[in-house]
Amino acid sequence: MKQFNSGPSINTYNKLIHWFDFSNHGILKVYSGKVDIGQHISSTLALITSNITEIKYDQIEIIKLSTDISPDEGITASSLSVANSGSAIKAASIALKINFLNYALENLEIKNEDILFENGVIKDKNSNKTISYWDFAKTDKFKDLIIPEIFDENYLKKINYQNNQKIELKTINEIVTGKYKYVHDINFPNMLHARIVRPPSYHCKLIKINEDFKKRLFENEITLFVKGSFVAILSLDEFLVVKFLEIARNNIFWEENHQLSNDNVFNSLEKHEKETLLVKSGGEAFYEEIPKKKSFDDPKIKSLSKIFKKSYLMHGPIGPSASCAIYDDNEFTIFSHSQSIFALKYSISKYFEIDPDFVTLKFMPGSGCYGHNGADDVAFEASVIAKSYPGRHILLKWTRADEHSWEPYGSASLNKVFGAINDYGEIVYWSNEAYSDTYLSRPSDIELNNFTSYKFLTNNFAKTKSKPKTSAHMGIHRNLDPIYKFKETRLVKNLVHDLPLRTSALRTLGAFANVTASESFLNDLAQIKNIDPFVIRINHLDDERAIDVLKNLKKKMEFFKSKEDSFRGIAFSRYKNSAAYCAVGVELNVTEDLQIKLNHAWITVDAGEIAYEDGIKAQVEGGFIQAASWTLYEEVIFDSKEIISKDWDSYKIIGFDNIPVFTTSVIDQKGSPYLGVGEAVAGPTGAAISNALCKALGQRIKILPFTKENITKELLN
Amino acid sequence: MSKVECELKINGLSKKINIYNDKPLVYAIRNDFGLTGTKLGCGLEQCGSCAVIIDGEKKLSCNLLAIECEKKEIITVEGLKIDSELNHVQEAFRNFNAAQCGYCTSGIIISITALFDKNKKPSSQEIQNALDGHLCRCGSHSVVLNAIESLKEN
Repeated sequence: MKQFNSGPSINTYNKLIHWFDFSNHGILKVYSGKVDIGQHISSTLALITSNITEIKYDQIEIIKLSTDISPDEGITASSLSVANSGSAIKAASIALKINFLNYALENLEIKNEDILFENGVIKDKNSNKTISYWDFAKTDKFKDLIIPEIFDENYLKKINYQNNQKIELKTINEIVTGKYKYVHDINFPNMLHARIVRPPSYHCKLIKINEDFKKRLFENEITLFVKGSFVAILSLDEFLVVKFLEIARNNIFWEENHQLSNDNVFNSLEKHEKETLLVKSGGEAFYEEIPKKKSFDDPKIKSLSKIFKKSYLMHGPIGPSASCAIYDDNEFTIFSHSQSIFALKYSISKYFEIDPDFVTLKFMPGSGCYGHNGADDVAFEASVIAKSYPGRHILLKWTRADEHSWEPYGSASLNKVFGAINDYGEIVYWSNEAYSDTYLSRPSDIELNNFTSYKFLTNNFAKTKSKPKTSAHMGIHRNLDPIYKFKETRLVKNLVHDLPLRTSALRTLGAFANVTASESFLNDLAQIKNIDPFVIRINHLDDERAIDVLKNLKKKMEFFKSKEDSFRGIAFSRYKNSAAYCAVGVELNVTEDLQIKLNHAWITVDAGEIAYEDGIKAQVEGGFIQAASWTLYEEVIFDSKEIISKDWDSYKIIGFDNIPVFTTSVIDQKGSPYLGVGEAVAGPTGAAISNALCKALGQRIKILPFTKENITKELLN
Repeated sequence: MSKVECELKINGLSKKINIYNDKPLVYAIRNDFGLTGTKLGCGLEQCGSCAVIIDGEKKLSCNLLAIECEKKEIITVEGLKIDSELNHVQEAFRNFNAAQCGYCTSGIIISITALFDKNKKPSSQEIQNALDGHLCRCGSHSVVLNAIESLKEN
């Protein structure tokens, strides 16, 4: 390890007291700005702390994020939890340990060799005198200590940590016994349960509420909350609210301002008004003239052109979004499972025009989060209701239909790919044009209208145009820039306007579509010259770590014989060209009925230094399963009036009956930065399945998902 | 709309509650008994997160009327412990860290417990049948299957 960079969080929170609390003897409380959204970040952070400080894992408690006490480390997204918070806590742990050792040596007046170090306590072998981290934490030295932004070699030499890896997840005991508390389980005295009465679709103005219905609500002690076109009902009895929600639908009337367009979305992606930007090597997008696509007359160069399509996808957490809010003494306290806890605080304070100091957001677990889902919306909505009932906790839950119909989806997209390969198997030209709606419409204090209920509260249904993001690999153009060394590339990002559905960040943003298209097309180009898929990739890579990942995958796959009538495919990418390297192999069968059965999945990942190996495996296998589900089954269906995919029958996802055997390998790069691993596997998964399917059918299927209907359509074409 | 008296026995404890006669069992478990380990995911019997054991059989509690469960033995995830120890399924899930967000986990543990209570050596197909209708969105399936496989071995 030559040097270690503490990462961006240390720039703002550079003292040990920002990260550590030793006020309870024998317990180390650790603050983090990242939240547990299913990835068990708390356990990984505790393990990092434990490995370096040599305080036992069981003695370490990660404090749930609360905006009044925790560091603001931004959104828990983009595979940056371990890269940012992990690096910061590792830096704080190194600084803590070195300074504690010095303090102990000075105060005990002993030599290094006389030290016994156990559970955070140093003991002098000879005198039995002890000194602990908890003693050190009482000193001014601890309180004033500044964590270096960079640790050089001399510093790091003093730290010889072992990466102990076997742990019990911090939450697992509570999860298996039903004691783990989610927002949904909050129960305060006198708390009101709330549900929102939703209109049929996005652009509906409230016209009328039947008087008889209002009377029935009153008789049953149910409160009706109306603000603009935002309608909710509240009661002490949760089931009563659920019961009346059904009745409300027939007693509340709406005017539809305009309908959803149900033209084929892929036609709309091509035809609608759009903003077109040039993406350059390095992954940034620029408002520059787009060079004309080249053509090739040379008979020694073969070219190919294909269009890949992906439908709208939903996050679809198993538990619908929920939040609990109270407005008391002019202050808000809001419990939320959002991944954007701090941004939510500032958005809510902006909406109510109150000082952010009077808005506290407390993270509390929800169902799994895979991007910008309904969590922010429901927290905002709960706060809107709570403001009208000071001193009362409001627990607002979305219904299953709310979650399926109102969340911001992952956009439908289209990739037009063109490439050329010469007689030597070199790819001499690569063009990829991505078309999509935005992947980034998170609400913020300057974009309150990104809350789905904002337009209903204000009765302002005017459409707003999203602006293209230009920074490297941000949004539509994430992983559009291939990691391979092609001779010439032409990369184009098209942000398409006026598409029918609400969209925002879904795990990997544009990378899933871009990598699935690119890595499928790369195989098609290789096929022209009959080049092996591993060879075409390795020949166009100059990054040794990328090559090692592919070689490892090849070795692992060769170890297993193919099953009868099965077909294999591989794919590779480095997420954002800067995070984890990931290669995926898939073996599958296709039934006579065109159902795809996954037999075996091989994943090789290099995520830098291993913070927690089983955690990395869980993330990549989980990511594979989710991406396989997107690839094989998922598609949001809608018509001109409403979303049709309102439940799990109308939006199919993968079940336990199509889970492959996994062979997952994690390459350790001890001493290297943590790279973050939550999203690396998705793109290669889509492409590896596509490549195996292409072998099985002898034809490339270019439209996701690979349902019987889509496959049949493509085969007939 | 009037309420009726209903006596339910959950995890060995009987309690009389006043409820609407169309109240699904899941709301009685969570709100009247305060046992929030049973989760509501869809209310449509499509996701499996509300599974409980009733008279030895796995049942989904989101559409099942509470009043139809009188005089029956209802077991939720909180009632699976045996003599204060985790049951063998819970223990396997703990040993394998077999959960991501955990929202679907209690329903799966219930299903697998009901299966192994009847059949100590279920076939792979029987395990698949038990898991049919249980959805997980985080992708904990592979670790969950490994945990269940370990039960067969033991």
